[in-house]
Parts: sequence; structure tokens; C-alpha cells
Amino acid sequence: MSDLKKVACHFCHMNCGMLAEVDNGVITKVTGDPEHPFNQGAQCPRGASALDHLNHPNRINYPLKQIGKRGAGQFERVSWQEALDDIAARLTKLKATYGAETLSSLGGTNRTDDFARRRFFNLFGSPNVAHTAPVCWIPNFLVESASYGWAAFDPEIAGSRCVIIWGHNPATSYLPEMRGLLQAKANGTKIIVIDPIFSETAAKADLWLAIRPGSDNALALAWLNVIINEGLYDYEFVDEWTVGFDELSERVEEYTPEWAAEKTGISAEVIAEAARIYATAKPACIQWGVATDQFGRGSSAGAQARVALRVICGNLDVPGGDVMPGPHPDFITDWEMELNDLLPLAQRQKQLGADKFKLNTWPGYQLLTDNMVRVWGKSIPAEWFCEANAPLLFRAMVSQQPYPVKACIVLANNPLISYANSKLVYQALKSLDLLVVMDYWMTPSALLADYVLPAASWLERPVMTTTYGVSDWLIASERAIEPMFERKTDADFWRELGHRLGQVEYWPWESDEEIFKQRLDPIGLEVDSYEEFVQYYRMAFAPREYRKYQERGVATPSGKVELKSSILEQLGYDPLPHYVELPFGSEAKPEMVAEYPLTLIAGGGFMPFFHSEHREITRIRLLKPYPRVAISPVLASQLSIKDKEWVWIETPTGRIKQQALITSAVAPNVIQAERGWWFPENSPVDPDLMGAFDSNVNVCLDDDPNTCDEACGSWCTRAVMCRISKVGGER
Amino acid sequence: MHWGMVIDLRRCVGCHACTIACQNENNLPLALKYCKIFKVGPNGEYPNLTSYNIPIACMHCEEAPCVEGCPTGASHRREDGIIAIDADKCVGCQFCMLVCPYGVRHMNKEAGAVEKCTLCFERLEAGKVTRCVETCQLKARHIGDLDDETGELMRLIRKDNAQPLYKHLGTKPSVYYIMP
Repeated sequence: MSDLKKVACHFCHMNCGMLAEVDNGVITKVTGDPEHPFNQGAQCPRGASALDHLNHPNRINYPLKQIGKRGAGQFERVSWQEALDDIAARLTKLKATYGAETLSSLGGTNRTDDFARRRFFNLFGSPNVAHTAPVCWIPNFLVESASYGWAAFDPEIAGSRCVIIWGHNPATSYLPEMRGLLQAKANGTKIIVIDPIFSETAAKADLWLAIRPGSDNALALAWLNVIINEGLYDYEFVDEWTVGFDELSERVEEYTPEWAAEKTGISAEVIAEAARIYATAKPACIQWGVATDQFGRGSSAGAQARVALRVICGNLDVPGGDVMPGPHPDFITDWEMELNDLLPLAQRQKQLGADKFKLNTWPGYQLLTDNMVRVWGKSIPAEWFCEANAPLLFRAMVSQQPYPVKACIVLANNPLISYANSKLVYQALKSLDLLVVMDYWMTPSALLADYVLPAASWLERPVMTTTYGVSDWLIASERAIEPMFERKTDADFWRELGHRLGQVEYWPWESDEEIFKQRLDPIGLEVDSYEEFVQYYRMAFAPREYRKYQERGVATPSGKVELKSSILEQLGYDPLPHYVELPFGSEAKPEMVAEYPLTLIAGGGFMPFFHSEHREITRIRLLKPYPRVAISPVLASQLSIKDKEWVWIETPTGRIKQQALITSAVAPNVIQAERGWWFPENSPVDPDLMGAFDSNVNVCLDDDPNTCDEACGSWCTRAVMCRISKVGGER
Repeated sequence: MHWGMVIDLRRCVGCHACTIACQNENNLPLALKYCKIFKVGPNGEYPNLTSYNIPIACMHCEEAPCVEGCPTGASHRREDGIIAIDADKCVGCQFCMLVCPYGVRHMNKEAGAVEKCTLCFERLEAGKVTRCVETCQLKARHIGDLDDETGELMRLIRKDNAQPLYKHLGTKPSVYYIMP
């Protein structure tokens, strides 16, 4: 009997809707769901390879226990029972010796239900949960939250007259969003792309501002200067709904277009003209991108400037502007599932980074939560928004300072490849007493683990999409089949581990579907099961309301939009936008220019891969078999580098090799190296670890906490001084 | 009835979804692609640049050199305008590959026959769109009837002045491109 299941793709966080044809428990076909609002029946190359992923011979299908020396690649199959019993016993012992905070966790991008992880950790008593959150949206989100009580992350591009795409390349990372942009452009919306690279998105823009890497903050400050000095802002909104405008005006007086021209490489005239286009095209919106979260020191300061732009131009929460969704009023959000209140104050204070990066840890989170609960009735989840700082976490693993971190549970994450300073991450993971990795694949990080546990992928699990728990809508999808072999969902894993650690009463559910059903119940629909909701409703969008601040007020201490943020001030940070030079650029370290004359951009997503994933899937891999570093033809001819030749990329932190991609898309003194690279086909034995250090750009990046963003602890992946040379001979 | 396609190069971002979806739909060997994407550019000097992507597959020409050149009649033009290959008749001489100006025919060594884009005629006959049209996230591809003057496809061709590639060769392709 053939069945059609409504599933959701997990190959990026768009969570496109898919339809799976199931024949006697076997999936025969996966196509796009034409009724899904995002992809409207389409698929990207990853989605089109869904069955290759599900049935891949390299998938982890059973729990594996490392029996040799860690890193020797010797595993044997064990039962779930044996694995979980042993993990629970070892955690109990470690907790008794070092305290609950000795257990940490590293998570990935949205293939997991992280409310379950946080629930487990709060019950266990450890605050040390981390993601790559500081370099992915969180500085922007939290600075916005501090300024206007939630993030305005839902720009209404279709109704907008001008869209600023700032450090973002949806043409390779968010195809459904790109479709919307091109549709808007066809209808007359002006598209302005700010990017040092002539990206796939820049190629479609009306105006591409080719700024120097990392100078975004200077551009934003100069825009504020022009808009305020020329009186192009929304007087009424500023007057009625903001505080701190005078201080802001005074602050940006020094940031003239001429000053910014020197930093950005864009003429003062063009800077001013672009500011006028943005300010006078009402409504307009600024689409968020994560590039601006990856500046290290100054990431939050840049976010403050963009906040001010949105606000003074009157685009906050208006139709066609930067709409601020707030939480869904009815369904039970991630935040409500996390049980944060059960984590004792003393343990919160131990969160690594709580004394240094205060906005993304408990001190800032508590302030934000108090305000959000007052206005919205709910807060943002602690997952992503209140986490241990990863660079400090890795250092604690190695040095046992300020206290020993002896255990780590990694889900849907490949920390050796995905965090800056890979050699330090390597040392850190090897220092642990217990490393557990739950994944689809044997990754370089999993090779170092004591246990590798098999994860169910999206065709084998229900998916509830809530944009990390901060959107006012949800889209629900079912599982097409029960998990194959002995794969499990992460919620199952946490529940079963929790049961072994005295948390039985907090995990009453038998399945993910039961949890999701319970979370949906307050909506008040008459459905008997989660699957029924998926089949008949699929989604729940809160009614769209604009200018919600008029009725609800603003979730800040003053009840107004704060151009001068009192929360940042209270935490000890500069409450106004300001200029900060990037930590590893020529401006900060002019003495190193002679030795490292080039500028490295080490971020950016690219098709057909998502982060460090999908290197095993042959069809996908054949599209881009090797890592590529974009080099200008001018530079290539100076150094006699030919296309596809392997080149060394060197920074003071480390060196890797990638293949030259000669393209005018980069400026002559800039290179862009692809990230996320490892080679599943290479030797798994330590220290090769499937080429974890060969072409992985994070080997070249430093994560020194003193270079990280002051408020959120973001490490720097942009504008890093470097040099390149030919590898010569064979790779 | 004359099946044709319009590909909007203003929309294509070169993601290769059509390439992969087509491979899976037709169960092709890893190295065989009916539909390839070529990136043009960036042309110019930084920062004054242009670039676009162009998907290339069988053009389903009205005056198809491959059909004329096929010694066994394996390559033929169907009544609905689709150029098809009868695998049973193909002897793998590859003459069609030599005469096709678009280079879109491929020898499938496993099958011992030449293959290429079928315009998913089986799907079209079943009332579905081609797999590449279905999978395109950017909605850059459109399939329809070139004989239907008032239809969506002809409307697009007229409105955006869509043109075949290498029109001057005179093979009268059924695939039209809206230039960026």
C-alpha cells in the first residue's frame, strides 16, 4: 500500500516541505510539497538527494563504542542499553567529583530538538551548553532584543520598496528566500547587496556595494550620519517611540561618509546616495545575514548601528518593513519546554562566559527575559540565546580553568571542523574523560568519541519548525518511516538518558509525536494525534499584526525603543553604536601587513553543501569535489597560480591548502576560502582524522577570547590577514 | 502540440538542483548529466562585474541535425516536438554527438546507447511538469505549448523577448532563454 507523508527537510534550516511516497515501509520517492509556503514544491540539490542520504552505506546505524585508543578508529557495536547505562554511570561519577558543570554539550544547526537538550541540562544542573550561535545570528538577534524587545527578523520583502541584503547570500543559502527577492525585484523593489564578494545574490542586485571585508560597521555608521544630518528619518516615530536619539545623533556626528569612504573603499558620494535610497524608500527592510555576526570584536556594535537604521527610518514592525513577530501566543514554545527555572542560580553563575560575554549568557538573558515576559508573556529560548562561550569552553577542557570540564555530548555538530582554532578544539576534545557524539556519519569529531550514537534523519522523525523557538508560527511535519536500524531521535536520547539520571517524572512522553501534540494542544484544534494536525492543518500562523508596540508597549526597561540601550549599559557595554576595527585586520595590526599582505574571508555558505555536511553523497560531491579558494586573476598572475592549482593559505594561526578558483568576484588583495571541508574518503586514524586539518579553514582562525565580540563572544572569521603560495607537486 | 521550455536566466542562481533531480529521476550513472549548468563570468573588472548561469540540455530542435544524421532512425522527433531516442535502435555510433551543436548528447557506456534529456515526456503524458521545472526553487523554468499562441509560454517569450541559444545555426530549438 502506498502512502504520502508530509515531511520536512533538515538539510538546512529552511525546513522545506517534502512529500515522501512510502510503499510497505520503504520510501520510494521524495519530492517537494507544492502546498508548502516556502519551497512551493521545489527542492535544492540536497533535497533532491534525500534518499541517497537516508540509505547511504556510511550512515551510523548502531551505537558504537571506542575500544582502542581514542582516535585509533576502533569501534565495536554495542546495544543502546549498554551505551546509555555506561554513559549515565560515568556522568554520575563525574558530577559527584567535579560538579554538574563539568558536563557540556555542543549542538548543530537545527536537525535536533534542542529544547530537550536544555531540559536535560537544566535538570542535570549544568549551564554549559553551546552552539556556534555567536557566529550565527545571535549578536544581531540579542542586540535587537535589547533595543526593541525581540528581533525584527521577518522582513516583508514582498511589500518592501527597498531591501538591503547585508552580508548574506540567499542565492546559495536560502533559495526560497531568493525566489521571493527576485519576485519582489520584478515588481519594482530595489535590491541593494552589501558584500565584499560579487556573490550569486550580488549578481542579481540593483546596486552592489563592494565594501572592504569587515568594514560594514563603518558603512552603517556613515548611513546614520547622512540620514540624521539630512533629516531623512521618521520624526514622528523617533519622537513618540524612542529614547536616546539625541545621544545617537551626537555619537554618529564623527562618522562622516568621507571617514567611511576610507574604511570601506566606497566613495563618500555613493555611501551617501545609498543611504538616501534606503531612508527615503519607505517601507524598506534590512535582511539579516550572519556575516556581520562573524566580525569578532565589534559584531554587536555593528548590530547596534543596523538597529538604529531600522528604527529611525520608521521601518520597525510596519507592513513591508522589518516585522518583529514575537512569540506565538498559543502553542507551547521551546522556552516553555526548557524548564530554565530549575537551574539553580549558583549554577547559572558558573556558565562559562557569564562574567565576560554577558549578553549571550545568563546575566543578559535574565534581563531580556524579564522584559519579554512583561510584554509578550514569553521569552526566547535559552538554547542559542543563553549559552556557554565555546572558545572559553574549549579552553576549560584543556586547562581545567576556571574548573574542569570533563565531559561533552555532541549532537548534529562536527566541532573539529565548525569552530575556529581547530587545533585547540582537537586538544580540547582529546582532554575529555567522556565524549559522546550522536550523528548521521562518522565525522572527524566522532572519531575521537567514546561513544558514537546513530541519529535518525528527517525522513525518520517528525519535525516541528519554529525558527529556533522565536517565530510566531510553526509548521509541523511527520515522519515518513520509523527510524531505520537502531537510529534514534535526539529527544529519545535525552529522555532515555534522563530516565537513568533521576529525571523520570520530567520525561513522561513515549515519542516525539506525543511531545509535539502536547505543545499544539493549547491552539485548541480538535485533533486526536500529531499526525492528524500535520495532515489537516500542517501549520499555525499567529494573525499578522503590525506596530504591536502601540498596544503592547516595547519589551525594554523604558518601554520605548532604545537607541541608547539601557540593557547594554547595565551589562557594562557601550549603549550606542560605535566603530570597532576587526581584530585580525591590517587596521588593528599594521605591523603584520608586510608578512601577511592579503585579507582572508573564511565564511560564506556555498552550494551544494550545508556547513560541513554532505561530503559523502557522491552526486553532490561531484559538483564540487574539492575545496576552493577564490583568488582574483590579478593576484593569480602575480603569483603565477593557475586555476585548480593547490595553494597554501597561511595565517599566524595555521595553514591549509585549497584549490585555486580564479575569479574576478574577489578584489585583488582579498581571498575567500570555503569552509566546512573534510574528506570522508581519507584515513580515519588520528592525526589524519579524515583530513580534518588539511583544508579546514578554521585551522587558520584564532578564537582568542580577547578578540571575540565583547557582548556575545563571537569569534572572527572575516578580514583576517593572510598570505598564499603554491603548494607545488602533488597534493 | 509542440512542447517547449523557457528558462529565465534572470532567476537562475546555478544551484544545480535540476542537474541532480534529473540524474535521480532518470537513474543516471554518476558521471552522466542530461542537464548541465554553466556559469558565465564574472566578466569585467572588480567591482564592475556581470555574471549569470545558463542551464543547458537538449534543445529539442525542429530541424534537428541528430535526427537527420542518425543512421538507424533511433533519434526521432515525436509528434509533440520532443526529440527522443529509441534505445533499441541505437547502435552507439555517436554520430549524433558529433553533429549536435549544443553538445548535450552523452554516451551511456553501461547501456551502450546515446542518451539525453527526454523532456520527461512520460511525466508530461501523465499530466505532470518535467522534473527540472518541478524542482526549481527560483521558478526559472517554464514548460508549455509553443503552438498555443495565447498560452503562458508564448506570452513569456513575447513579453521578455526570449530567444533560443545560437539561433543563427537554424536548428529551431524548442528551448528559449530570457537573457539577464
